[in-house]
Amino acid sequence: MSGVIEIEGLRKTFHSLRHGRRIAVDGFDLLVEAGQVHGFLGPNGSGKTTTLRALLGLVRADAGRMRVLGADAPEHLPRVAGRVGAIVESPQFFGNFTAYRTLRLLAVAGGVPVRRVDEVLEQVGLGDRGHERVKGYSLGMKQRLAVASALLKRPELLILDEPANGLDPAGIREMRDLTRALAGNGVTVLVSSHILAEIELICDHVTIISRGRRVAAGRVSEVLAGYDRDECLVRADDLPRAEELLRAAGLAVTVAADHLLVGGVPDPALVSRTLGEQGVWVRELAPVRPDLESVFLELTGAGPHPALPRQVDHAPADPAAAPVIDLDVRGVEA
Amino acid sequence: MNLVRAEAQRLAARRFVQLMVLLLLAAFAVTAATTLAGSHRPTGAELAAAQREAAAERRDMELEHDRCLARDRGEAWAHESSYYLPADCSEIDPALRNRLPVAADYLSGVFTFTQQAEPLLYFLVAFLMLFGFLVGASYIGADLNSGGVVNLLLWRPRRLTVLGAKLGTLLGAVLVLSVLASLAYLVTFWVIARVGGYPGPTDAAFWAGLAERWGRGVGLVLLATAIGFAIATMGRHTAAALGAVAAYLVVWELGGRIVLQILEVTRPDQLLLSSYVAAWISKEVRFYDSSACTDVYYSYCDGTYLLTWQPALAVLLLLTAGLTATAFALFRRRDLI
Repeated sequence: MSGVIEIEGLRKTFHSLRHGRRIAVDGFDLLVEAGQVHGFLGPNGSGKTTTLRALLGLVRADAGRMRVLGADAPEHLPRVAGRVGAIVESPQFFGNFTAYRTLRLLAVAGGVPVRRVDEVLEQVGLGDRGHERVKGYSLGMKQRLAVASALLKRPELLILDEPANGLDPAGIREMRDLTRALAGNGVTVLVSSHILAEIELICDHVTIISRGRRVAAGRVSEVLAGYDRDECLVRADDLPRAEELLRAAGLAVTVAADHLLVGGVPDPALVSRTLGEQGVWVRELAPVRPDLESVFLELTGAGPHPALPRQVDHAPADPAAAPVIDLDVRGVEA
Repeated sequence: MNLVRAEAQRLAARRFVQLMVLLLLAAFAVTAATTLAGSHRPTGAELAAAQREAAAERRDMELEHDRCLARDRGEAWAHESSYYLPADCSEIDPALRNRLPVAADYLSGVFTFTQQAEPLLYFLVAFLMLFGFLVGASYIGADLNSGGVVNLLLWRPRRLTVLGAKLGTLLGAVLVLSVLASLAYLVTFWVIARVGGYPGPTDAAFWAGLAERWGRGVGLVLLATAIGFAIATMGRHTAAALGAVAAYLVVWELGGRIVLQILEVTRPDQLLLSSYVAAWISKEVRFYDSSACTDVYYSYCDGTYLLTWQPALAVLLLLTAGLTATAFALFRRRDLI
């Protein structure tokens, strides 16, 4: 392995008197290479935060090997901590401290010039409210403060756990722009999020975790391509006749109320040609591409069940039997 | 060094610390004001009368001692008075007394510094112990509970260094506050005695004795601070320290004491921490063991026993070191979630 973050075979089990033994992470692998904006996806309780906490030395792993910026974690983490900015889950701060004081104390503890505090407050949009007490902040403002604390030391690697939590749409867009700007400046970003569309917009690589195991990893486009069934949405003036013709041509057709879904069509021209030759005119023909949400739901089994409410950390399928997509992840065994 | 500086700033900025300092100042002001209001500067006549009474009392004591020695020598005049004389004359030897009567003993409504300095110091030490314990517990308890420690560990991922810096900074801050508060406290009451009371005879021995008690008191303050910090670290919450101390006091110091008496355990006070605190602060404490003389009916039996400061210090240090070491060991291995 050679990457900014390398995790191999990470295993963590929590024991409690009340809840017994719970496997949080079960042989998980992750590789994030320099310059990537890497999305880290998984349903609630799938092990994302435990993985990040283990990586940052906050949780002791039972097994596995982790390296951050070339240093074994957590043993040699202090050697590289000054180059890693991180926020883990909902960060909390002393309510009676102002954002400025909160960051100032971190800057003093970390040996960062105090003038940097004003810069990062401005960067995350808290420049005007940095001298207000944190207890008066909204969740989104606290999230911005957390990101500011991560940026304080000009990190080479930024680990953001749910950075968009509590942000309004404008805040989410600002966070996206900030992430892109940082990536543009050569910062490697690992971002975990539930907002899949957001991940799809800002990340070039993605790793999906379910029940503590990696179920997909690689370039976003390639992970999506792995789930592309070459489907087309078809609307025509005579839908029953179109269905008949397409089936006769050997294509898989699913009938919906006002359209057909035709599978196994690598080239949509095949559909227009088949129908046009028989005098059925196509009104709409659109290729259906999978998005990250559909892939995520399929891989993690986290989609809505028609009869049952889904429980946190429950995936209906046996995780051992879950499909593993591994694309362009050098050196990591699925 | 940066970490210590940051922790000192964090500690000073905490509301609870500021509130406790205000409480200390308020208690200080109330004590000083009531002392000043209830005292007056003795007139020359009052002072002279008090000095005469003290001198007379000292003379009487010497006379009684002389009479006791005369009785032992078989001299007749020793039997002229009907006052009781002990079998062992050293019991009433004025030279062996802890202190002899002084003028201040006979001054009414006058604040006398030499007499009141010690109890005032004990009050201050008690308050500072409470301050140290509560601030120590809340400092780490709130930090663990609010995620402050996690934020810090993301910057300085050395758990023992971070916790050690916190404890060191806390102890340093409490020590500085204790020194400053004690100085301000004693100087204020010294001035009150000079202006509106009676300073009393202050010689080098008096100041040395006071300094020694102060040193012992400050030692207790630091131990209480470390214990509060350690228990809150183990319990991850300020309330853990408060609960542990409340439980200890109720269950062991009160309930346990009763049970030990019912079971007629030998020297039960040796099993209570409060005995060691008392022995440390007073240099030695004598306890009575009711089980020691149960078989003695016709002869003299001394059922008392002495607890000195050396074993008291050893017990208190072992307890504090044990709790602190356990807290550090737990914190080193703990999952911070």
